Amino acid sequence: MAAASGALLAGVNAGRAAEGEVIPIGAGVPLTGWAAADGIEFKRAAEMARDEINAMGGILGRPIEVFFEDTKNQGADNIIPAMQRLIDRHNVHAIINGYNTGAVCAEYDTIADAGIIYIHHNTDIVHHQVVGGDPERYFGIFMGDPAEYWYGEGLLTFLNNLKASGDWAPDNNKIAIITGSQNYSVVIADAIREKAAEYGWDISLYETVVVPISEWGPTLAKLRADPPAVIAVTHWVPQDLAQFMLQFTPNPTNSLVYMQYGPSLSAFREIAGENANGVLYSTVIASLRDEKGEAFNTAYRDRFGADSSPLTGAQVYDSLHYYALMAAIAGGTGGPGEFEQNQKIADRLRSMIYRGVMGTTRFFIPEQAGIPYPDATNDPSMGMPHQFLQHQDYTKEAELIAPDPYVSAPFKMPPWMAS
Amino acid sequence: MTMPIDPDLMRDPDQNKRRDLTIAAAAIVVCVVLPFVFPNRYLIGQGVTLFLWVAVVSQWNLVFGVGGIFSLAQLAIFAVGGYSAAMLALYLNVSLWFGMFLGGLVATGFSLIVGLACLRLSGAYVALLTLALATALQVLIITDTTCFMRQGVTCMTFTGGSRGLSRFGDFGFTAMLGRANAPLGNYFLAFAVALAAMLFAYLVIYSPIGLAFRAIRDNKLYSIGRGISSVRFQLLIFGASAFFTGMAGAVFAGHYRAIGANILDTSLLLFLLSMMVIGGLGRFWGPLAGTTALLLFDEAMKELGEWRLAGLGAILLLSVIFMPNGIVGLFRSRPAAR
Repeated sequence: MAAASGALLAGVNAGRAAEGEVIPIGAGVPLTGWAAADGIEFKRAAEMARDEINAMGGILGRPIEVFFEDTKNQGADNIIPAMQRLIDRHNVHAIINGYNTGAVCAEYDTIADAGIIYIHHNTDIVHHQVVGGDPERYFGIFMGDPAEYWYGEGLLTFLNNLKASGDWAPDNNKIAIITGSQNYSVVIADAIREKAAEYGWDISLYETVVVPISEWGPTLAKLRADPPAVIAVTHWVPQDLAQFMLQFTPNPTNSLVYMQYGPSLSAFREIAGENANGVLYSTVIASLRDEKGEAFNTAYRDRFGADSSPLTGAQVYDSLHYYALMAAIAGGTGGPGEFEQNQKIADRLRSMIYRGVMGTTRFFIPEQAGIPYPDATNDPSMGMPHQFLQHQDYTKEAELIAPDPYVSAPFKMPPWMAS
Repeated sequence: MTMPIDPDLMRDPDQNKRRDLTIAAAAIVVCVVLPFVFPNRYLIGQGVTLFLWVAVVSQWNLVFGVGGIFSLAQLAIFAVGGYSAAMLALYLNVSLWFGMFLGGLVATGFSLIVGLACLRLSGAYVALLTLALATALQVLIITDTTCFMRQGVTCMTFTGGSRGLSRFGDFGFTAMLGRANAPLGNYFLAFAVALAAMLFAYLVIYSPIGLAFRAIRDNKLYSIGRGISSVRFQLLIFGASAFFTGMAGAVFAGHYRAIGANILDTSLLLFLLSMMVIGGLGRFWGPLAGTTALLLFDEAMKELGEWRLAGLGAILLLSVIFMPNGIVGLFRSRPAAR
């Protein structure tokens, strides 16, 4: 399954078995706290990647071992000690994480002082400012996915492409934005609002709801009073979004409904039932539905059970493989304080392109953050796909409807609009 | 809840002083020497955490243990101190050194307001009101989404919202001591705050004011009858216990170079409450003993990964059953009956 990249790593390892001194790799993941469900997937994915890498000879004949630290509720006071412990206690040569949202890049100095490689998936535009502002100091820090900012512009591009394809003819050019109070939601909502006019859209409503929320009546009343062509809900909690659909579909407007992240979780479909059908959502970081992605999804579920979530685990899986390959090409890993060797690995990460189960990883320079396709590049081989998905049958996984060439099914008019 | 009578109060004061001075001297020597014997960044970082929580719990112990007021507002006071220092640095370029004292003062003002709100309440109602205030503060921060300042393509809200505040600077130890020794600067700053907080707690507990706090706690009507103003002393205890708590909040912000609303999570509040109870409620050495013990337990439990919380819960349960007077209570012999 690790296919081409795996073959490449095995090739660089020149048939050596993973028998040498163990290379410690760290992962600071939320094993407890509100994000523990995702944290468990990050841990599973790291273990799966570790086993595959070691089966291919490790890194130049040295096996890797992954050490985990709990980042709990992901505050700075949780994340920084977790990173420091990985460095001091386990002497890790790299830290490969899923997401930790609470430190706002404050952990970067801990990493920079140690001079090791750090790949995370915090989906945070602040990363651009911090690393781009001092690329020399933060040479080893990479964000393996595009920032949340791209969700905004990406949605507008998707809508215009859909309109141009003739599959959808909007009644007007209005977008209603409904955002939650968390920064992730607000950044995306603001990005849509700021770029809307440039893409030919008007913002008819910008509503901030206090979350968690289950009573959508007042918001729906505003939407029904001035029906927009698109309703964009950037709040992400699945049960709240499911409640929105349950209350929207009995008296719908002729609008596409786009939601953030939540519909990718099974809780959304379970609560919304058939009202989930037709809902659009997107992700800048998930395993694809193509040959490579599905092979990973299947192997992951076979190993960890049908209820496991390979879509979530994919980020750690890809980045650990990517790191192992680049370290092998660079001549080996470097521990804390071995700046020169880690600089070589960082150089490889910056200059090479990796095709994993999530698509292509390639970084903005000097920001060292994932480039999204088609939001920032027109070439699918040069950026990580910003995937647009649609629930077409709530009993099954969502279909990937854009961008090409990753599409698994064409866009389908939502049932409330077709009727 | 009935507070145990501290045997120290029934023992020869000079004997108490000698014992406390010996323990304090030993603790200070250990804390000063430790980072040089084990110059490990992680250990030094954990030392900072220990000192900050000792400072907070020692002040909370004044309100909760000595004063008998079941306030759950201590982390909110800590957050007010931390946020004040961070916002002053971010928006007005006030040095964190100065902001640390201002944070303490703002926290004191906030705590006095909390004390005023609790004047007519007692027991569980104080706990409910103060918990509600802390929760409301957290919700207010998280739901702050109005753009206050632009940073590149992102909008910065006044309080930082759910993302929190960062990039407001630090105490400048990197420039003063070099990057390698900068953690030592934070270590000794947090140590100084904890030491000052403990000294302050000591002076309060063994002063006439401390006796008045205990009198109100043990028999409010009788103490009022003896001329002690419960209003005055309740406000005094809320105000006095807040300054070092607020300062600790500012040091927290400067050490981590970030502060967020998660600092007001109930789980952390309960963790600190457990430190106070396990150490010995109302006892001077209780906060130090409880904080040290729980942080050590937490450290040991880290090896259990996702089972850490269950392990910690089991230890708490056993401690409450077998050490009802806390760790300090284990080392105190009963005073002779008089």
